[in-house]
Amino acid sequence: MSFWIVLGIIVAIGLWLVALYNGLVGGRNQAQTAWSQIDVQLKRRHDLIPNLVQVVKDAMGYEQETLTKVIQARNNAVAATGNPAQAGPAEAALTQATRGLFALMENYPQLKANDNAMQLQEELTTTENKIAFARQFYNDSVNSYNVRRQSFPAVLAAASLGFGPIELFNMPETEREVPKVALR
Amino acid sequence: MSATTDFVAAQKQNRRNTVLLLAILTVLAAAVGYGAGALLEGQASGGMPLVSNAGVAAAAIMAVVSVGWSLLSLALGDKMVLAMSGAKTIDKADAPQLYNVVEEISIAAGVPMPKVMVLETDALNAFATGNKVGGGTIAVTRGLIDTLNRDELQGVVAHEMAHLANLDTRYMVVVGVTVGLIALVCDMLLRSMAWGGVGRSSGNSNKKGGSGGGILIILLIVVAIFAPLAAKAVQMAVSRQREYLADATSVQFTRNPNGLIQALGKLAEKAAPFPGVSRATQHLFIVNPVQTFTTRSSALLATHPDIADRIARLRNLGR
Repeated sequence: MSFWIVLGIIVAIGLWLVALYNGLVGGRNQAQTAWSQIDVQLKRRHDLIPNLVQVVKDAMGYEQETLTKVIQARNNAVAATGNPAQAGPAEAALTQATRGLFALMENYPQLKANDNAMQLQEELTTTENKIAFARQFYNDSVNSYNVRRQSFPAVLAAASLGFGPIELFNMPETEREVPKVALR
Repeated sequence: MSATTDFVAAQKQNRRNTVLLLAILTVLAAAVGYGAGALLEGQASGGMPLVSNAGVAAAAIMAVVSVGWSLLSLALGDKMVLAMSGAKTIDKADAPQLYNVVEEISIAAGVPMPKVMVLETDALNAFATGNKVGGGTIAVTRGLIDTLNRDELQGVVAHEMAHLANLDTRYMVVVGVTVGLIALVCDMLLRSMAWGGVGRSSGNSNKKGGSGGGILIILLIVVAIFAPLAAKAVQMAVSRQREYLADATSVQFTRNPNGLIQALGKLAEKAAPFPGVSRATQHLFIVNPVQTFTTRSSALLATHPDIADRIARLRNLGR
């Protein structure tokens, strides 16, 4: 009798461990997939920016300073690749610089008529959106993974099964601001 | 907790409800099959047997038919809808911005890239169809591509992606089959009772005729008449609730309620009917292309909530 009770408890713990392990593996894979997506899009952005600068350079002769700033920000971002702590701020600065460039491009009608420039602008816009969305999805995945591995009773077993915490990817100043409501 | 959990939860709930509905559908079909079989056997032998062999056989047949019908609509519904709508697959060169926006939102939703299709019409509308996570199709009208700005297009595409990510499209197929079968079965019940009544009056009377049986039959007739209407009302209520949920999920993806709010405003003005749209597919679209948009569209049998209500709810999300 007591043998069956003990066996039942062991089987129950075993099943729980299997479920926990599979859940954590799923969460970690989701985060890793999301991270590789961010990586792909960041590289794409680094490749697109020199092309855009090349195309708009002639028309925007008087905006050398802005163009130099964009290229500088791009080179900084490339240098920071692979280091999440530095890549975050560098990519954020690059986003600011390209937004400034897009705003200036509005002043040049000949650029709006230039299919090549418009196409590159659309590609850069979508790439920046993809970075933002991939980061959003990555951080959401990381959050739910971290919460799952830290909650009781999973916290008892997660570390010994080899599931460490995962870091968030922060890009200050590019996040969509929460609308402020003035109360007075 | 995190933003993903809401639509993952919605997906789980839809999955559960799909299985539940399929089970109810099968049991219902079997019960009616048994009833019809037993009734026939009763007429033939001049008394209702407690356990009817014909009833059991009919129940088994009905159960198999209902499961087969559901699985068939799940497997083929997708292709039938696309064929009926006349949408054409495009690649990136045809509509780069649309294609890019769909890619962006599929990243935000964490689902594989769906197929992108275009409906060649000036009307403003969009729909999604698909029966599993991954795959699926998002179709928008040419008018929508030409009229909406990038943010608005993003809101609309995110709404459609929400239907795919929430597995709404599959759920609604099963709901539709259930409602159709309830209507069919009630119709059959009414007919078989009409036959039964004729058989009884032609002298095949049993001892227990009496007033009790009469009341029961009247009750059955009332149920058979109102059950299809009630089922339809439930289907439409589910459909409207799914639209609200997809609007909310859309904003979870884009983090920008204004895009969808502006888009819905424009769609409300120009969601005219166009070739390829019918009552069979109206519930799939982001705004109903058949119904006119008066306050009546918040009525019991509307596929979509009133656009003004949807916009009001989206505005509330922002604060």
